[in-house]
Amino acid sequence: MFHNSSQKKFWTFKNEDELEQMRYMANEKFRRKALESGKPGIGDFKFLDRHEEDALFRHYERRLLDFCNAFKPAMPKSVVGTAIMYFRRFYLNNSIMEYHPRIIMLTCAYLSCKVDEFNVSSTQFVGNLLQESPAGQERVAEQILEYELLLIQQLNFHLVVHNPYRPMEGLLIDLKTRYPTLENPESLRKSADDFLTQAAMTDAGLLFSPSQIALTAILNSASRAGLKMESYLTECLGLKEDKETLSKMYDSMKRMKTLLKKYELPKQEEVNAYKHKLERIHAEFATSSNKRKRGYEEDGHVAKEPRLTEEDWTDEDLL
Amino acid sequence: MDDQGCPRCKTTKYRNPSLKLMVNVCGHTLCENCVEMLFVRGSGNCVQCDTPLRKSNFRVQLFEDATVDKEVEIRKKVMKIYNKREFDFPSLRDYNDYLEQVEDIVYNLTNNVDVENTKGRMEQYQRENKDIIQRNKAKLTREQEELEELLLLEQQSNEQRRLEVLQEEQRQLQAKRKSKQTLLDELEQSKLPATILLAQHKVRAAQLETQIEQQKQNVKPTSLFSTGIQIGQTVSLQPLPRIQEVLYQYKPLQVETYGPPAPDLEQLSRFGYLNHVRAAMPQDTAGGYTSALACYRAIQDAFNGLFPIRD
Repeated sequence: MFHNSSQKKFWTFKNEDELEQMRYMANEKFRRKALESGKPGIGDFKFLDRHEEDALFRHYERRLLDFCNAFKPAMPKSVVGTAIMYFRRFYLNNSIMEYHPRIIMLTCAYLSCKVDEFNVSSTQFVGNLLQESPAGQERVAEQILEYELLLIQQLNFHLVVHNPYRPMEGLLIDLKTRYPTLENPESLRKSADDFLTQAAMTDAGLLFSPSQIALTAILNSASRAGLKMESYLTECLGLKEDKETLSKMYDSMKRMKTLLKKYELPKQEEVNAYKHKLERIHAEFATSSNKRKRGYEEDGHVAKEPRLTEEDWTDEDLL
Repeated sequence: MDDQGCPRCKTTKYRNPSLKLMVNVCGHTLCENCVEMLFVRGSGNCVQCDTPLRKSNFRVQLFEDATVDKEVEIRKKVMKIYNKREFDFPSLRDYNDYLEQVEDIVYNLTNNVDVENTKGRMEQYQRENKDIIQRNKAKLTREQEELEELLLLEQQSNEQRRLEVLQEEQRQLQAKRKSKQTLLDELEQSKLPATILLAQHKVRAAQLETQIEQQKQNVKPTSLFSTGIQIGQTVSLQPLPRIQEVLYQYKPLQVETYGPPAPDLEQLSRFGYLNHVRAAMPQDTAGGYTSALACYRAIQDAFNGLFPIRD
């Protein structure tokens, strides 16, 4: 359950500044590593800034969501939520410049299918990459398998992610049972769902517990429909006496709403420009770091030849 | 033993499970055949470590790990010299110090650490304590003899008992046969009617049976328990000290869920939660699933972590 989960202990942070700090550190770490590797012709302008990284991150996150929504057979919502959370957590401690997002996003989706027991074989998985030839799909499959262990490591082996979908169902059930004031809680479901999907594209999952996100979703959709629900909090959740907790909860809900409002999809021209930069950085540094992402093939094992065809498939091949 | 082969001929061990491995003083193993071949002249060098060895020093390996055998040999030799007993020492601490010394020496010799120094220490000890060593050796042999005598006695008494039992059985068989024979003879010769003869025979057989039973009851009571304590010897038993402890009190588990309390599984239907959950189909209930379980989980998840955590 959430109260003793690794998500609460290790992956819930206090505020956005802490998250920003971590991402900044990841960026710095990569810059230092690249400069130390002593390649000639490196200027600071070649590296991606924080806001450029952010734009690219949001762009690829959107691609991940679209990929999961277009997935055949239909992916359950929790799998999508888990995949996005993995993606977000991975790039909290690593820079986009070090590991290219398009591989990581597919690896995240693949891993989350496994963890959430949505059984998809790797061939079936890459079969969803419609733009690729079968040979290309196989290559992608191999790449995913290479990066899988790295991803699990960077998640610190904390693979269980608590999504807000089940808490939302629970709250709806509770509303129907104990809160007759609200006549038709089912009507709130659709807009609450949309709220949750949007919240998944923000840092809300890293700052608040899933039940808080679900509650905010429901209250938001209720206020949009013009229904008053404050008495639910005071009566049914037993917060009549506890003014402090009540005010704190309203606080967090406000913060969450601001987070959602702040979200915007980056513009296509910017994204293209940043992508060029990213490709250049990867071409320079990535192949030199000798893609040995296979953590399980230690010494004493015959290693496969390095794959020079890493960058062959591009973003457009995804959808 | 089958997972390691002879380091020299390698395959022969698997092909011939009855083949034995021999260990020498350097701790390396060789199978019997290889020993024959390499040490045909009586002495040679070890295959792996090149120490000069003699054929007579090879012993059949008893333990899976050859280093254990090596240590056992070394220990036997050391214990021949260091053979003091516990009552030779004024206090337990001294005895333990002595034992630790012995262990150090065995360890050093087994792992080839500081060998000359250790051997020097051993010789010095031997010189200093020559008479004690001799005395203890004599005591040891005496004890071993006593033990052997006891064993012999036991064996003899077992043999005797076995013989006695056999003889008893023979006697009983013979008695039975005799009574049958007498019956047949009487049937032939006597003038009495057959029924009376049969009745007499039955009485005789019953008497024999009771005799056998009585003899079985007359088992000689032993005077010794199997541990060697005499029967009837008083052993002082002090009353065990009473330990008074705090009784265990069951306290149900309290879990902090940072949220409003969720209703129990049993109360769900009472409060009407189950009306809002999809009912379980017959094929679901077969596996033990009830709609209450899904409802319970959803409610728990909804309430878990709802309140902000107090820092």
